Amino acid sequence: MTPKVCLVMRSFNPFNRAWTQILRNLGIDYTLCVTTGGTTSANIQTPQGVFSPSSPDLRGYFRQFDAVILCDNGGDLSATSFINYSVFWMSWNAPEDPAFLFFNPHFSTAITDSAYDSNFPSDFPIVRPSPSDIAGTLYAADGGSASAFDPLTQASLRARGMCILFLAENIRAHVQTICNAHSNIPYYWKLDTAKHSTLASTPYTHRVARNGRAGEVLAVPAPPISSEDTETYPADCVVAYRYRNIFWLPHAMARTQRSVNIWDAEISAFVFWLLYGLQMAGVRPRYKLPVQIETDHPLEAISSTPPFNLSFQQQLELIRAQFDYMRDFARRKGTAIINGVRVGGRHRTTSTSFHWNLMYSTGVPAEARAVAQQANQLLIAGHREGTLPCGVHDHTAGNFQGGYWLGDVRANFRRHSGMRYGAPNNVPIDRGRCCVAPHVLPAGVAGADAQTVQVGDTEMVEWDHTMSGTGDTFDLPLGNIHAARMIIESEIEEMLALGFPDGYCAGHKYTNTAANASGGECYWQALKEFGFRGVRSASACNDPHRTKRVVANRLWYGFHLITEASFDLATGTAYAWGLYHPNAPSGGDAVRRRMLDHGNDISRNWTTQPVAAWRAYRRVLCQGISDWLSITAVVLGALYIHPINAAMIISLSDPLARFNGWSKQNVIGEPHYCHSVELLENMDAVVRLLPEYLYWGTITDVMDHRERVMG
Amino acid sequence: MPVRFLRNASELADVSWETPLPVQVANAKPVPADTLLIATTTVDTTANRDLLGSTATELPTLDGCMQYRKLVWFYFRAGADATNYRVLARATDQNGAPLGAGWQVLLEDALPGGANSWGRIEIPSASDGYYDQYRIEVRRTAGDSNYSLTSKIVGVR
Repeated sequence: MTPKVCLVMRSFNPFNRAWTQILRNLGIDYTLCVTTGGTTSANIQTPQGVFSPSSPDLRGYFRQFDAVILCDNGGDLSATSFINYSVFWMSWNAPEDPAFLFFNPHFSTAITDSAYDSNFPSDFPIVRPSPSDIAGTLYAADGGSASAFDPLTQASLRARGMCILFLAENIRAHVQTICNAHSNIPYYWKLDTAKHSTLASTPYTHRVARNGRAGEVLAVPAPPISSEDTETYPADCVVAYRYRNIFWLPHAMARTQRSVNIWDAEISAFVFWLLYGLQMAGVRPRYKLPVQIETDHPLEAISSTPPFNLSFQQQLELIRAQFDYMRDFARRKGTAIINGVRVGGRHRTTSTSFHWNLMYSTGVPAEARAVAQQANQLLIAGHREGTLPCGVHDHTAGNFQGGYWLGDVRANFRRHSGMRYGAPNNVPIDRGRCCVAPHVLPAGVAGADAQTVQVGDTEMVEWDHTMSGTGDTFDLPLGNIHAARMIIESEIEEMLALGFPDGYCAGHKYTNTAANASGGECYWQALKEFGFRGVRSASACNDPHRTKRVVANRLWYGFHLITEASFDLATGTAYAWGLYHPNAPSGGDAVRRRMLDHGNDISRNWTTQPVAAWRAYRRVLCQGISDWLSITAVVLGALYIHPINAAMIISLSDPLARFNGWSKQNVIGEPHYCHSVELLENMDAVVRLLPEYLYWGTITDVMDHRERVMG
Repeated sequence: MPVRFLRNASELADVSWETPLPVQVANAKPVPADTLLIATTTVDTTANRDLLGSTATELPTLDGCMQYRKLVWFYFRAGADATNYRVLARATDQNGAPLGAGWQVLLEDALPGGANSWGRIEIPSASDGYYDQYRIEVRRTAGDSNYSLTSKIVGVR
């Protein structure tokens, strides 16, 4: 049976294309229907004709679908109409009728449409919001502060957070949740407990009624797990409810003109609720989506880390503990956590923050080097067993700025020794004279040193190359395939010297490029020659040189250029000062980085109210899961973190402990938080909640799936 | 009884979405056009902003376009305020690097259409393209209302 849903919207102008992109990636067929307005008299324009919203014809038309989805939503409870036409569908509850998914529905008492009121089911158990009595009809959520901007349209910033308890599954998960919004304040719904009690004891038969009852509370705000966390909600507060075959669910998609640029898109922050709603509606997708995560610089340490002042050894012990945990997690869950090993330290830099130098430089204390070598062994073991595959990630190929082809020339490039492109071999480092159409090359023009080079589908003959000589250091022109081959071979040589059997994440044949700079065609061709199947890459793929973009569909002659998204806690600084820290530099903690301090309700209360730390924790996790789910479901890309970025704020004595507010503190007496543990555990809760839609997979699964659905 | 076929000479596989029955395609015709870009741009008064929102003037909006004789730019503009557009193009060498800095200006004009109107622009407007890289910029030149411009660009071989 082919899964099929119907999307109902008022207009294509504010229609978020992520709706359909996600459905395509899941292999769910869809039909788009446009209404002629928002009132009960609006008609529904379907591919099979225009129907009145209350007509038997429309009801019959809908019965071909597994689910009907209402796409429109708003952040103004005083609006008099929005999706008034849908009120008739709330009574279409026969077993033959589809499930109806109402996300962030507008059903406030401000609706003046008499047909709406008269047809609204009298036994519906969620209190209709009243803009004139908000406190009596809704519960202010997430601290109750107003966002600076519309919380329904935010992407990778300004999350509103909550831990949600899913009752039937008995799973707690942090997911961005807004049932309704008004004046930029998020709200949850109030349950009419008497009506719910009646529904919950009324037998009802429909494929989506898993408990055989007419009403079911699906999800509520999770009760706190700490006495510090005083943000509690009354027992009649709900965030998701099934009324017969009607699912009353939180916000799922911003109602904006947000396009999906082939394989790049802004973060859709509320994707979870769409996936949850589809699963609850019994829509079986053709494909599940693989969930995976990557790290950049698995081994990294910083010489000066105020105010934490952690030694190299302490930092590396925290790193080692995290990778020990991640290896175990990957084993248990069947995922593979990709790691971009920061190579270049063997030949091109003496910086003690690099992987090689942390293991071998005498600038690093011996006891710290010993810990680095233990962590390296852990990575090698993980690489060999498939839990922690490692690949090259070179910030030294382009003058320390990032990855591949970041300028015209890399001054004083130092190469490796041996192999094909290493010293003392005299090899080409730039194209010489060249003919890109050998079939028109006159005989005798090319010299005796002529060689054929293939880039993509272009075959060319080159001769009179610029050569390296026998030395190991020279100025290397970066924009050619010979340089690309030399750089990549040098990187792989370092990986082999570190003890890894390869430089491309073993069977995944993939790596995450430094600064997401994959260079351009020459580098993609060279990577293919060395066995790579794909790399992670930014759209502007040689920033800051800025002369190249990835190909439009991110698939170059079978070579994948995977969309990237980072979720580090801090930006602009080498490490985060905390979820929040009063004295952190700009962007130096997660609340500042992600603009999570709504109405200053974290910063104002940080030192006086313990709940502020829990609020920060919830918002950070919700933002992280939003970003991760969006990159997974919309663009089939890769989310990554730098473990060192969040390392300083971890408790030295109990590094893998879960967040526990001020009850578990780090070395400077601020709340402990272990980013890798929290992200993975919380995403695991989401994966367990959505077994029909998500599974712990690998980057190979991602690339396989891209090939499956990109056609 | 599932339908099965012999895969890899020795392996029996069930026919499924993941392992479709092998077929030989006869009389297949090449697809003459590819979708190269779909993007929504906020049109404001920023100079040199391209359809992907970048103001880095050397950064192409589209790369690897040499196979296309012509690009067709479809758009839907939500606002009416006067807007200029510029289409820049250049060729790259065998390394994929531009032959030189800067761009050749192919088109520079007022963006046709009013609020909630559709448009179609051929690039180049006459003769053939075959450029490797294009940069397409839009800039509001009058009024005070930024608006969304949604574009789709198709490359025609």
